[in-house]
Amino acid sequence: MDWGRIRFFLGEVQRNFTRNAGMQITAIGTVAVTIVMLGIFLYARSALIHAESGVFSQIEISVYADPAATAAQETVIRTALAQDPRILSVSFIPKREGLAQMRRLMKGQIDTSLLTENPLPDKFRIRVREAQEVPAVARSIARLPHVQNVEYGREVVQRLLQLAAVMRPVGIAVIVLFLLVAGIIISNTIRLTVFARRREISIMQLVGATNMYIRMPFICEGLLAGIAGTAIAVGTLALARASLVPKIASALPWLPMNTVAVDLSTLVLELFAVGAAVGALASWIAVGRYLRT
Amino acid sequence: MISIRGVSLVYPNGVRALDNVSLEIGKGEFIFLVGHSGTGKSSLLRLLYREMAPSIGHITVDGIRVDRLARGRIPALRRRLGVVFQDYKLLSDKTVWENVAFALQVTGAHTRDVQRQVPRALDLVGLAHKSRMYPNELSGGEQQRTAIARALVNNPKLLLCDEPSGNLDPANTTEIMELLRRINLKGTTVVVATHNQAVVDRMRRRVVRLDNGRVITDEERGYYFLGLGQDQILSG
Repeated sequence: MDWGRIRFFLGEVQRNFTRNAGMQITAIGTVAVTIVMLGIFLYARSALIHAESGVFSQIEISVYADPAATAAQETVIRTALAQDPRILSVSFIPKREGLAQMRRLMKGQIDTSLLTENPLPDKFRIRVREAQEVPAVARSIARLPHVQNVEYGREVVQRLLQLAAVMRPVGIAVIVLFLLVAGIIISNTIRLTVFARRREISIMQLVGATNMYIRMPFICEGLLAGIAGTAIAVGTLALARASLVPKIASALPWLPMNTVAVDLSTLVLELFAVGAAVGALASWIAVGRYLRT
Repeated sequence: MISIRGVSLVYPNGVRALDNVSLEIGKGEFIFLVGHSGTGKSSLLRLLYREMAPSIGHITVDGIRVDRLARGRIPALRRRLGVVFQDYKLLSDKTVWENVAFALQVTGAHTRDVQRQVPRALDLVGLAHKSRMYPNELSGGEQQRTAIARALVNNPKLLLCDEPSGNLDPANTTEIMELLRRINLKGTTVVVATHNQAVVDRMRRRVVRLDNGRVITDEERGYYFLGLGQDQILSG
């Protein structure tokens, strides 16, 4: 290990970094904002993926048999449902039990003792394996004989499916845009540093330094800016999580966020990797342009 | 050491800087390139350290085909020669010692080599006692000596000088030329582009005269003006 060489190199990096501190702060700030956005997006996504699958797994199809259907005819329906591979589970609720359930739900609102006979049909409650198949399964069940009616939260299910389909690409597009902006700002910062050091660079080239060697301090500078920005962002995100998540949870209790399910250490690592990569790549491009001309 | 054959250089704006130049320079030679400004002296030097490539022609420097050198091989060429300029090209925020060491450090030299070579180069140019000073604390001659020390610190076999005395007074000019002569005596090939008549006439070395991008004369022990010594001009 040649410490003199390492000290010289680190000295060069440090001089670069401190030379245009103002621009450096701008670059770090932009990285920080971008990484905060990315962090929120990734955090919300992994919290909501859980919620999403929770909501979808609760989607049920209710199948009402014809009130006039005999027990044998209902068995036909049951067999058909059991044979469908898309269906996860079927439970049968005879009308007697349905009425008991309704009594429990409507207690105090409707006086069910006034009923002289049970108006409810027999009902099958169905869970489907894949949320996307709910509408198709419902349609095919409706075609079975002796089925009076098929119900599922048509509106809600379709909205949720659409939302899930749109959320992902839009989120990714926004993040890519932000990363691009951060990259351009870092790249410009490095270009300023390169410009400030053009005399040194020309002397380096004159005495036979390789382009790789000339590049290294600038790459390190970009890397440092990326890491510093990410550190600020991660700190901000940690504070926000500690103070905001409980408030959100109490303000919007219907929003099923499972914060325990988010793997924080992986998320932080991912953010640092993205920040460092953006910094290094942007400065690589910035110096490369200068060295070619 | 240097072989130039049929070299022409045309700038993108159409200006023909060099026109079919051929020149052989042997190992250990001391040679002046003379001529008015804009006659192609600097362009010829730039071709030798591959700041530019010729439009046509062959150039060999110390066994390296410079005219068709790949970009990635240029650093290797530059490490085998030293270049000195009229404006010294020193870094003002580094001391004399650091400026000289810079040439070794940025080419990845080991610290122990830096510590051995830098004092030797500074001794050669007589600046060992000023190694901790900054360029703006030095005279022009001392700054140029620092630049020469930097050019020589990795022991090149060839030293290219582009108007080395252009910014210097006569006393400092004499000092620099004496230094170049000593460097040449140690075996380094020295090529000096200059339009300083006094220098050329005093040294009595090989003189290659350029005019309009062409070599017009090449004399073994020449004067600045063709066939005339300084005294002859003065008395004539």
